[in-house]
Formats: sequence, structure tokens, C-alpha cells
Amino acid sequence: MENDLPRRREETGLSQGELAEAVGVTRQTINAIERDRYDPSLELAFKLAAHFECPIEAIFQPKEADD
Amino acid sequence: MFDTALTDSDEPGRPRRVYYRVVYAILAIAIVGLLAGMVTGRELIGTIIYCAGAWIGSGIAFIAPKLTDVPLQDERDTELYNRASGLTLGVLFVLGLSVIPAIYVLEAAGNIDPPAEVTGAILLASGLFLLWGVAYGIVKRR
Repeated sequence: MENDLPRRREETGLSQGELAEAVGVTRQTINAIERDRYDPSLELAFKLAAHFECPIEAIFQPKEADD
Repeated sequence: MFDTALTDSDEPGRPRRVYYRVVYAILAIAIVGLLAGMVTGRELIGTIIYCAGAWIGSGIAFIAPKLTDVPLQDERDTELYNRASGLTLGVLFVLGLSVIPAIYVLEAAGNIDPPAEVTGAILLASGLFLLWGVAYGIVKRR
């Protein structure tokens, strides 16, 4: 999976720690997601989508190699 | 008390750092206490310090995340633990599968006489696999 979480987070002026606090995970997890080193659970993906008020697929997209 | 200590912070990530530092510090004191006891010939006191530290540190590690809403551990930590556990079991399984039957056969044939430590290690590995199998069965049915 790839994502545009860094862009969305920076657009809203949040730090990784603030976003982490908002969705109930650690800063390290947000960092790992942004660096494509961790795919979040469906529950966390829904929380992130709800936080940014957009559909999940607007944040997360499968990599072409995953298709 | 622990909950208050962890939530009285405006800095994101600080509670998690405090949590890990407290746990690691207690475990470090336990190990240093045991080693100091061995070096100074006060093994009983060292053992008591070690056991107390191990129980208190492990207790905080398991209980603290349940007592606070602050995310001290999250789904990524769980996945990392699971992957590390799986890797450890995989290595043990490959080593065990390749070594243990060979030791049994060679011992039965009288080619080797494995020391008690090797027998103990084999029993320990077998016990671990048995425990894993029971835990897997329980987790699968929940």
C-alpha cells in the first residue's frame, strides 16, 4: 500500500505526534505508515479517513505491484 | 496514580517514553542487583532484588496499558511482537527439526552421549513448542 498521509497531515498543520494522539496510536506508528513501512489495520485506516473527512481510498492506494 | 502520571503531559509521545523508561529501568536494576549479589557473595539478596524487579517491571509492562487511555502500545507494536515471535519460533523449529532427531538417533546408536545440558535444552524447546501449540489452540477458538 502507498498513501498520501504526509501531505494531508502537513496540509492540516499537524505534527505526527498530534495526528497519532488524535487517532489513538503512537507517533512511531504514524511515522511508519508515512514511510510505507507499515500498513495500518482497517480500524486505524477508518479512523484516519474519518479524521481527514475523506474516503479510505483517497488516502490509501494499492501499489501497482500489489494489483 | 500511574494513569495521572502518564496523562499529565501536553507533549505527544512523552507518556510512552516514560512508560518504556520506567519498565527498562526496573528491569535493569533487577539484573544489576542479581549480578551485584553474585559478585559480592550475597546471592540471596541479589535473587530477591531480581525477582522483585522482574515481577514489578513485567507487571507494569502488562498492566499499565490497560489502566490508561494513553496509547502506550498500539497495533504496530502488536504486529512487531507477533513477527518477532514468529521468527523466533521459526528459527527454533528449523534448528530443532534438524538437530533433535539426529541427536536421538546418534544417542540410540551409541555414537554420542549428550550431556545433561543438551537434554535439558531439548526438553525446554519441546516444552516451548507444546506451550505454543496450546496457546495457538486457545487463541484460535476465542
